[in-house]
Amino acid sequence: MSFKRLDAEDFLVSSDSITSTLWSTGAPTLTEFFTSSTQEAGSSGDFYLAVYQTASALTNAATQFDIAYADEGGSGSTAYNALVPQNTTSKTIYGQYRSLILEDENANFIFGTGTNVISGSNFWVISVERARYKEALFPGSLNLTLSGSAGEIKLTDNSVDTSVNTFLGTSKVYQLISGSNGSAVSGGGDVAGSGSYGLVFPELGTILLNPYAISQSIGVTANRAVGLANGTNNTTLFNSIDLGASFRINSQETITSDYVFVRARNSEFNYTENPTFISGSTGEIIYTDFINNPQTFITTVGMYNDSNELLAVAKLSKPLIKDFTKETLLRIKLDF
Amino acid sequence: MGYLNNQSVTIDAILTKKGRETLAKNDGSFRITQFSLADDEIDYTLYNPTHPSGSSFYGEAIDNMPLLEAFPNESQIMKYQLTTLPRGTAKLPVLDLGFSAITLKQGASLAITPQTLSYLGNASTFETSGYSATVSDVRLFNTYTGVGINTEAATSANLNSTVTVGTNVSKTVTGTQINLRATTVNTLFGTNEQIATTITVVGLDSGARLTIPVTITKTT
Repeated sequence: MSFKRLDAEDFLVSSDSITSTLWSTGAPTLTEFFTSSTQEAGSSGDFYLAVYQTASALTNAATQFDIAYADEGGSGSTAYNALVPQNTTSKTIYGQYRSLILEDENANFIFGTGTNVISGSNFWVISVERARYKEALFPGSLNLTLSGSAGEIKLTDNSVDTSVNTFLGTSKVYQLISGSNGSAVSGGGDVAGSGSYGLVFPELGTILLNPYAISQSIGVTANRAVGLANGTNNTTLFNSIDLGASFRINSQETITSDYVFVRARNSEFNYTENPTFISGSTGEIIYTDFINNPQTFITTVGMYNDSNELLAVAKLSKPLIKDFTKETLLRIKLDF
Repeated sequence: MGYLNNQSVTIDAILTKKGRETLAKNDGSFRITQFSLADDEIDYTLYNPTHPSGSSFYGEAIDNMPLLEAFPNESQIMKYQLTTLPRGTAKLPVLDLGFSAITLKQGASLAITPQTLSYLGNASTFETSGYSATVSDVRLFNTYTGVGINTEAATSANLNSTVTVGTNVSKTVTGTQINLRATTVNTLFGTNEQIATTITVVGLDSGARLTIPVTITKTT
């Protein structure tokens, strides 16, 4: 016998939440930001600005996040067609996020909580690449520094200060506030009369920034001029992030693992079909000691279906001795 | 592919190419129900039963050897299975297929009837559970079936066993006799006159294993 059936209790399915650094650099904080003039000048540059961790021409350059600007009335960007001046890229972006998050064409984005709220008719978007955030942004890990003519501000989500999850539509949302590691600075972390600094949607990998609050705080202003060149406002936010030189956030994902417990009893798996275990072509065992006291060395575990098809394999890092005096229990973890 | 760090005992597990294929099929065939152990990479000639330091050191040349990472190609791993035999076994079972290599013309058929030698005191026997036969590239056969074993698992394995399109994937069938018919598809040959693969037969009771090369010769 060389195949052994697994019992139901030999399997265990377990789901674990894994957090890790988000950026391609492997470091928790991204301190240098690069753009691509090719992307910026291309058709996608009208809508968003891709931000890289290194010079975009290098082979290891990868998009870390994109910056876009949204305006309900279409200001701050150029019309697709001069005959229909209200239809612009910023209006498209606004409609895109309204449809995605609010799920209601008549609803507006509200920045802030309690009495300090403001209805946002325009906002910046930081959309993190899916490959970076994996399943979600890890709440409480966000630390973004913006810098402008009137100073610098450190932003975070309010996940630590909030005891009850809040949703916009079906999306979990946190307020973007002044503070660090999910907690507001003393005083509330928002701007009086301007609402919060934005909204954080961890499961969408998206951060919306409230231009009004940011303008009040550090003087970085969204230009709402009609017919403004596309990409102008994207560059404004990029410059503020670049000058701040600190964007820290972690990713989060749920890994579902299938644990298989492989048990070899003392009387099992003590001989081998390894050609070096025998001498000659008739199968005589190489050492007479092995006839009554065979020793084998387990290096590989194969897992099969009923059709004897090899579905998964596991290799040990060092050989494991097996003989008639030893029993073996191996725990194998298959991730999906 | 590289060596595994053997400072501590860890297990590096991956899905094989066949595992990923069955997972993608989503037909229930990705269901682990049994396991087998193997000692790939071990050279028992390094075992030294005359070691001057005594029996604790007989396996010293093997004990701490670094092992390679797992290969995803199912035909490149689990080559030497460990097997359960009665204590005192002096001879290990050996497979006899009747062929050391197979060469077929396009469209030609062949039946392989494996036998096991030196198993449980018998000079020659047919194993009760039958034999599994894995071809590493099933496209080379118009027909590839196992007959003679009527268990549900064997019947399931022998279903849909005619595949000559698609990419290079293995196919495992179970039976006491393996029937195969060489492909008639010319495009597989490209500009070559021959194409080759391997068939690996494993005795499901004894664990005895034998791999033979198979060559298909173009006729048209």
